[in-house]
Amino acid sequence: MYGGDEVSAIVIDLGSHTCKAGYAGEDAPKAVFPSVVGSIDQMDVDDSGNAERNSGSGVDSKNNVDSNKGKGKRKLYVGTQSLGYRRDHMEVLSPFKDGIVADWDIVDSIWDHALRECLLVDPKEHPMLLAEPSSNTQQQRERAAELMFEKYKVPALFLAKNAVLTSFALGRATSLVVDCGGGSTTVAPVHDGYVLQKAVVTSPIGGEFLTNCLMKSLESKGITIRPRYSFKRKENRPGEFQIVDLDFPNTTESYKLFSQRVIVSDIKECVSRAPDTPYDESAYSNIPMTPYELPDGQTIEIGADRFKIPDVLFNPSLVQTIPGMENYVDIASSCRGLPQMVIESINRCDVDIRRELFSSILLAGGTASMQQLKERLEKDLLEESPQAARVKVVASGNATERRFSVWIGGSILASLGSFQQMWFSKSEYEEHGASYIQRKCP
Amino acid sequence: MANSSSGMAVNDDCKLKFMELKAKRSYRFIVFKIEEKIQQVTVEKLGEPNESYEHFTDSLPANECRYAVYDFDFTTEENVQKSKIFFIAWAPDTSRIRSKMLYASSKDRFRRELDGVQVELQATDPSEMSMDIIKSRVF
Repeated sequence: MYGGDEVSAIVIDLGSHTCKAGYAGEDAPKAVFPSVVGSIDQMDVDDSGNAERNSGSGVDSKNNVDSNKGKGKRKLYVGTQSLGYRRDHMEVLSPFKDGIVADWDIVDSIWDHALRECLLVDPKEHPMLLAEPSSNTQQQRERAAELMFEKYKVPALFLAKNAVLTSFALGRATSLVVDCGGGSTTVAPVHDGYVLQKAVVTSPIGGEFLTNCLMKSLESKGITIRPRYSFKRKENRPGEFQIVDLDFPNTTESYKLFSQRVIVSDIKECVSRAPDTPYDESAYSNIPMTPYELPDGQTIEIGADRFKIPDVLFNPSLVQTIPGMENYVDIASSCRGLPQMVIESINRCDVDIRRELFSSILLAGGTASMQQLKERLEKDLLEESPQAARVKVVASGNATERRFSVWIGGSILASLGSFQQMWFSKSEYEEHGASYIQRKCP
Repeated sequence: MANSSSGMAVNDDCKLKFMELKAKRSYRFIVFKIEEKIQQVTVEKLGEPNESYEHFTDSLPANECRYAVYDFDFTTEENVQKSKIFFIAWAPDTSRIRSKMLYASSKDRFRRELDGVQVELQATDPSEMSMDIIKSRVF
């Protein structure tokens, strides 16, 4: 039993797109930053330094500013600010592959950034609650426990499943959680606080996939998205701007893409809206255009894509009709739409709880903030579910709560006085080893 | 234990009163409340055997979570008098997120203490625990 009532716990939800970290008991995470990192191979840095000196360009003399994150062969840059700054040869890497952690060095650097630079805490003093994907493997959990206890020397740890935290935060111990995240969409049934692993259904179609679709679609219309670093905007006269292109030949393709996606994802969040009925090319051809001003000052107009892109969630095969998305057609054709995923997941559960799951479908995650998504999902499910089922889709009315439901759930759980006895403490770790995590936090 | 539960304890009085409802039928319903200060689930209200279902639903606050048990009497098609004990987790949408979290994460443990509950319901608004729903869950 860990009796540290006085110090507040730290809650970290490392999602596929954003990392959320903050103090337990608060109602929103203090730090929210991308879960990707910039990486420069140390060899490359030296080379680029020479190249710049030779050519005498010196545009980026700050390029070699040292970050204290030297990790042997490569240097990692974490956080919104460090990623916002363009560096020669900096690749953008994600720690995840297919939804699970593939590169623990990157995870380590993200945790370190969250704790020491964003929250400014000493991890030795705070119990740590980590949210984990519902289908996390045993090895992953032990690895996380090991890293937390050995490297960060946390006094106590708890791992809670995303779906369970969302379900609890919306007041239900039994529910079907539809988590539309950045990197994927997960449908997970929760029964009495346990995730029913066999019935979890996932698809790689999440917010980032939609961003890709929108980007390709815009490109096919001849619109170029200039990344923020690639131009300077000069004010010649008040209200009159001139755009000067800057050229950085050493910028990596992945960084360029990362910067473009930041812009496109904002366009997506501003204009898109799930259509009330399945998307139909002819019906939407006359839809009024919505203007959006890009950072370089050009104004673009978005028409049918406002509805078509979100509809990919419901009908992945739409991807075929988006120019430039040919590489993704295979992925998309192996996926089902959101309503079908819900039905499949429920059908994999015991007959006795199906009725209850149908009546408490919880919508959460970053992409769930899409306008009309909840209404559309409810409508499609009403059509496809068995007659006797009472379908009810619930989403928090508050956009922050919808986006951060996992984190908020963790925050409240970790702050409950009675929860103190549930932690996996350092002494238990020392006595039983990392595998004990399976007993403490199943 | 050992799922992501809150570790909330259960006051002995809860079990005692529930046993009286079950065995002696001294009450129609019981409303339970979590007292965060003492970290226990406690009995908030007891309903007399002759009180109506409306009485019961009125005892649940409109924007706070509660647990409740209700002893429902009915007559089967063969004209046999029967009763079933319902457990209801009441979590209105308008309640504070902290209270939803508290009740949802403590439910499993608390429910296990009440041996003899036959039907379980989760309700977020009165329509989810209307008389029709209760009747439809009896058979």
